[in-house]
Amino acid sequence: MRSKVAQRILAETPEETKIFARMYADIVVRVNQLLKAKGFSQKDLADKLEKRPSEVNKWLIGEHNFTLRSLAKLEAELGEPIINVPQRKSMGTTGYVTLYKNHTIKTDVVYTTGWNKSKSTNKTALAHVS
Amino acid sequence: MYFCLQINSNVDIFALEIWDDEAAKCTFYTVKYDYTNETETDLFFNKYDALAEYKEANQELLSFVLLSIGNDHGAIDELFNRDENEVKGLPVQGKRTIENITYHFREFPLRLYALKITNNIVVLFNGGIKDGPTNQKSSLYVEWRAACEFAKRINQGLHDGTILVNEKNRKLTNYDGSDEIIL
Repeated sequence: MRSKVAQRILAETPEETKIFARMYADIVVRVNQLLKAKGFSQKDLADKLEKRPSEVNKWLIGEHNFTLRSLAKLEAELGEPIINVPQRKSMGTTGYVTLYKNHTIKTDVVYTTGWNKSKSTNKTALAHVS
Repeated sequence: MYFCLQINSNVDIFALEIWDDEAAKCTFYTVKYDYTNETETDLFFNKYDALAEYKEANQELLSFVLLSIGNDHGAIDELFNRDENEVKGLPVQGKRTIENITYHFREFPLRLYALKITNNIVVLFNGGIKDGPTNQKSSLYVEWRAACEFAKRINQGLHDGTILVNEKNRKLTNYDGSDEIIL
């Protein structure tokens, strides 16, 4: 059972309000959990962000509204994504799929001074070029 | 000869009853005085729903409670804000203290008080508008004091076995196993 008052108000609540409340909670939880996992205190984080500890505390207890800029700073310092934006990928004639990432894939290539010939077990015949 | 008849005021008697048990991760309880038909949490949400300037904030807070805590995360610590300094006067048993639902980023006007029993069971009380630096200096002082009194009685009940926590079924029961809890 659910309180009839709660049922009525929730039914009247615009979808965007529900989405906002959920995303907000997800971000507060995610940031707090990353801090715990990394062993950062609020003071450590404040030092890294060059902010006052009281301001960082307000982020973490929810008194401060996150901006995209503040989230980017937090993500950079914590080294893991806080929010992910799904991407759309074409599937040819069948339409599109939406891709959700669970983690950041590093695409950086380590620079080396020499190239090593790759070993391949599958020998593919070269195309005949006339 | 004069008789001094002391009538026990029944304002202190209240029932602890389910407010929502449909959410996936948390059961919410509320309290209701025996002289009224409306629970304290319904009074809170009804009151601010009817005030145009707080209607949207009220809807956000309700969404946060039922969707974020209830469905998504459960009553984890990250979503509760413990005002340690403000509950020193509350003689609670164990570690349970009255808490704010953490949904009050800058300028967010409403506060709703809660007592977290476990990560899956929360008692919601009443609340109000935070218009001062502390609860004591805000207009919601009366609601905060009432929440503290409710919490004190519930904590006593949990401590002396009047109220049993059924973690498996995510519910509270009376000592005799019934769902009716009167304190």
